[in-house]
Amino acid sequence: MLALHEDLHAFANTIVHGDAASPQIVPSYINYSAEIAVDIYRNNYRGNLHDALAGAYPVIKQLVGDNFFRFMAGKYTDVYPSRSANLHHYGAELATFLTAFAPAQELVYLADVAVLEWTCHVAYFADDIATLDINRLALIPPEQYPELILHIHPACRMVRSRYPVAAIWRAHQPGADCDFHIDLDSGPCIALVNRQADAVQVEELRENFSAWLQAMQDGISMGAAIDATLARYPDFDLATSLQKLVAQNILTGFNLGVSI
Amino acid sequence: MPANDTLPCTAGIGLRAPHYREVLRDLPKLGWVEVHNENFFGGGAPLHTLLKVREHYPVSLHGVGMGLASATPLDDAHLSALRKLCDAVQPASVSEHLCWNTAAGLVINDLLPFPYTNNALEHVARRVEQVQEKLGRQLLVENLSSYLSFTHSEMTEGEFLAELTRRTGCGILFDVENLYVNVRNLGVDAEAFIKVIPADAVKEYHLAGFSERDGCLVDTHNRPVYAEVWELYETVLRHIGPRPTLIEWDSDIPALPVLMAEAAKAQQRLEEHDACIA
Repeated sequence: MLALHEDLHAFANTIVHGDAASPQIVPSYINYSAEIAVDIYRNNYRGNLHDALAGAYPVIKQLVGDNFFRFMAGKYTDVYPSRSANLHHYGAELATFLTAFAPAQELVYLADVAVLEWTCHVAYFADDIATLDINRLALIPPEQYPELILHIHPACRMVRSRYPVAAIWRAHQPGADCDFHIDLDSGPCIALVNRQADAVQVEELRENFSAWLQAMQDGISMGAAIDATLARYPDFDLATSLQKLVAQNILTGFNLGVSI
Repeated sequence: MPANDTLPCTAGIGLRAPHYREVLRDLPKLGWVEVHNENFFGGGAPLHTLLKVREHYPVSLHGVGMGLASATPLDDAHLSALRKLCDAVQPASVSEHLCWNTAAGLVINDLLPFPYTNNALEHVARRVEQVQEKLGRQLLVENLSSYLSFTHSEMTEGEFLAELTRRTGCGILFDVENLYVNVRNLGVDAEAFIKVIPADAVKEYHLAGFSERDGCLVDTHNRPVYAEVWELYETVLRHIGPRPTLIEWDSDIPALPVLMAEAAKAQQRLEEHDACIA
């Protein structure tokens, strides 16, 4: 075991860190040298990670262009090497990386778009959970409604930004109208990420709806969530908001219990 | 779910995301399909799609991330995800590559070669047994396309696979294109490889296109199968016999009819072989 361990250790460092190839690698082949072979493995390593990032961040790629994206991906890979055999896990820290990435500082919204795209990526792979059968809810006596704790689909997440990230995201989806105008100073944005019929969707939420949804995602009971929301947003409309959750398959279940 | 629990001895295609929608809409005549496990580990939308595909076609689950030869303990999360996927999909076949991807705290998302030593054989055999135990089924192990080799290998890849099969009862996924690449790059003896691997352990063939970089053939799966690989496939059919055969195409993925036309070429050869035997 020890011998194999040493061989692989050396080979891994040759590919990732550019160490010289071990003398135990045959130096020449029929039509090329070991250097060529090692180069191919090094390129594959970086290329596969670039492709994984490009798959998870298609909007960022359009915003910065292919060449800049490749340059950025290379720098990201230097700082954040792969930690998982599943390439779909790669790229979780791109937003953090971008906040400190000097060449992209002019694109002030880029890191927030990265947060939104990673949230979409995670939503795409989030577990499928049966949505709530609304008839079950009808069996609950109305006086118990305040104690209801509603369960929110794991694919449903909110992203907050001071930039209009939802509009930016939408303008860069396949088939979107190329002729768009986005005002970066249009005020803060709360984007709701959700999956419906196998497609991830992004829409903007109003503050009152998001405050209420956040309370329920935190496991707070209906009664307490409504009270807290109404205290801050007297115009909050519960019936419309509930309908929206049901229509978008965001509710997966409920329990009666003490709010946590 | 229909009884699609064995791969038919026909030609199948590697099913990738660009074709999900079209396949589910048109339900084209495909013998079977193969998908990459890791694309479905999270569950979610991709798994939902795969389960719909599975209602119509036998599915083969093909892994690219288990790292059977990695010098670290088997990744339990990865193995559990595969078990969960198998339970959901009830695949006709489960396969992995004879390679490694993790060492020195580094994960290299690629299919990497290692020296074929007795020491490595013991290590890989133990891990194949662990995987088979966890999955409760036979694993097929695929021969690798390699761009380099090691001075201290004690056997050929074919000998390694044959012994691995004998020790663990695993099956062999014989990638004909990988063998061709190794013949051209490393001077591997194709005839000896075909001879040394036990025919009854071979459960599936792979075919694909490669590209060339600085004199080295690279297993890029980005074009049709070359004439030389079809020729080698015909030789393999004569010596080992017909098996379920997959067309793999993973980058510059063409329109579905192009992929199906490639599969038809494999199907024709499988049928010609049968006619020959009859």
